Amino acid sequence: MPLVRRGSSNAAVSSLESSALAATLSGGSIDERWAAARSVADLPNGLTLLSDALSRETDPRVREAIFTSMARTRTPESAAAVLPYLRSDDASLRAGALDALRLMPEATASHLPGLLIDKDADVRVLACELVRNQPVSEASRLLQPILATESQANVCGAAVEVLAEVGGPDVLPFLAACARRFPDDPFLSFAIQVARGRIGSQASSRD
Amino acid sequence: MTPDGKKNVLVIDDASLVRAYYRQALEKAGYHVGEAMNGLEGLEKLLMQPFDVVIVDVNMPQMDGMTFLSMLRSKELPLAGIPALVTSTEAGEQDIAAARRAGANYYVVKPISQEALANYIDLLAGVAR
Amino acid sequence: MVFTEAKRYYVERRIAERMAATSIETFPAYFAFLRSELRDEVEHIINAFTVNETYFYREDHQLECLTKDLLRERVREKRRGDAIRIWSAPCSTGEEPYSIAIWLLENWPEVDNFDVEIVGSDIDTRVLGAASAGIFGKRALMRLSPDLVARYFEQLDDERWLILDDLRQSVQFSSVNLVETRQTLTQGQFDVIFCRNVLIYFDDESRRVAAENLYDNLLPGGFICLGHTESMSRISPLFEVCRYSDAIVYRRPREKNP
Repeated sequence: MPLVRRGSSNAAVSSLESSALAATLSGGSIDERWAAARSVADLPNGLTLLSDALSRETDPRVREAIFTSMARTRTPESAAAVLPYLRSDDASLRAGALDALRLMPEATASHLPGLLIDKDADVRVLACELVRNQPVSEASRLLQPILATESQANVCGAAVEVLAEVGGPDVLPFLAACARRFPDDPFLSFAIQVARGRIGSQASSRD
Repeated sequence: MTPDGKKNVLVIDDASLVRAYYRQALEKAGYHVGEAMNGLEGLEKLLMQPFDVVIVDVNMPQMDGMTFLSMLRSKELPLAGIPALVTSTEAGEQDIAAARRAGANYYVVKPISQEALANYIDLLAGVAR
Repeated sequence: MVFTEAKRYYVERRIAERMAATSIETFPAYFAFLRSELRDEVEHIINAFTVNETYFYREDHQLECLTKDLLRERVREKRRGDAIRIWSAPCSTGEEPYSIAIWLLENWPEVDNFDVEIVGSDIDTRVLGAASAGIFGKRALMRLSPDLVARYFEQLDDERWLILDDLRQSVQFSSVNLVETRQTLTQGQFDVIFCRNVLIYFDDESRRVAAENLYDNLLPGGFICLGHTESMSRISPLFEVCRYSDAIVYRRPREKNP
């Protein structure tokens, strides 16, 4: 019989002290940095170590592990530490930051009002996306001002995308007003029409 | 191309309404449309079914458009040779040049009208009207 | 199947997944498609709703892929007598790891050339107990030919068959929670992992942690197979995607040579 059975193999990783982990996070091989990033979250100063590591790390796999660990700590501090990467020139860092923030909606909530009026339109777009994971009533409340006053069509588009999924009848007038503000944007007109249709039909099916 | 002779376009964009908008335009123009919400899913769809043209947005989570394109162009033919339209909100020279380098055939700044989109896809798919 | 109101979300999710998979936007269109496409799509829908059912040789196109493609790749750089480690996680009541064992003995000409080690893990210790016991009913065996059943099982009575002791001894079972890194690390690294229809039940954070754990449990160049309605594209960017035969399979990238 060629199929063989063995006892449990390969050792579990040993837990390292904080300073050793910090050293590994910056100086180790990719595999070592990866393992360190994954075990640091439990330490009291874990977030600081992860934050520092993220500012220097270039390997995509290790970055991913750092973001996961930061998201798992899910404190307002973790959200604050991840936020700056929404502005990064590096698309993969922006994406990593967005995914990490998505994992911690409560920690992110207090930052959203500020992000939604950020001077960078790209950040405002990402902020709209983050609203999706907030409680539904919050989502409406946060995005209505966007529909009313946002100057960039693609930011409005991001808001409409989220409201099409989670918006209630209360946003219908805001959608209509937004459509009137951008009459020449073919995509936005389409998107608002779809959103209004979806929200409207849900409302009527509830009556 | 699908058995009914229609060409097949893959739309990769993380916004469902953008995909719906393109779908409407392209189906009206006689294309079959497949959808993916990020570059990874796009690559999977491309591996499972033949597509004639790909539309990909620059900004997507999990894998951005440029990374996706570079990876696509590094695969084997015929996959690597699929014509690609890149969409973006940026109109800068550098962005256009970067897209060219990554292997885009056309670069289009949003918002795009449905007719313009269909025209670009006709060009890339080699469809004369 | 009986659906209560509580299952409505589950049903909606499954249908939404099928609609997304077939790129069909509205339910009426999907329903029309279902009625016209019959065989394939209906099978997908049935699979989608019966993910918890397990039986021998389930999704056997992945087993075919294992011997035709994945193991061929894996042994490229191995020598005779080297280990091949395959993980079935979760293994539930054992149908999957035992299926792999039988399949290899039946379909892999090279099975004698390597040290094949099959490990089955699950978080639920009751199913592990049942798996170790190796007793199965008619339903579990329904995809196996009478010849295979006769050769690998001993019939105990009308309803129960016991898998041969040799096979029972050849699979190692262990209790593992895929989200707990401390637990997954104890299992070592594998050439191939089957992780079917479990990641869909995790929340986003757990799914991501589990994907990282699974990455750790793969040898560089090793493969992981998910359930055929699942995709790594919604879970993690760590893996490469490969198409073999008719299956989509994921791979931990091979080591880059310095």
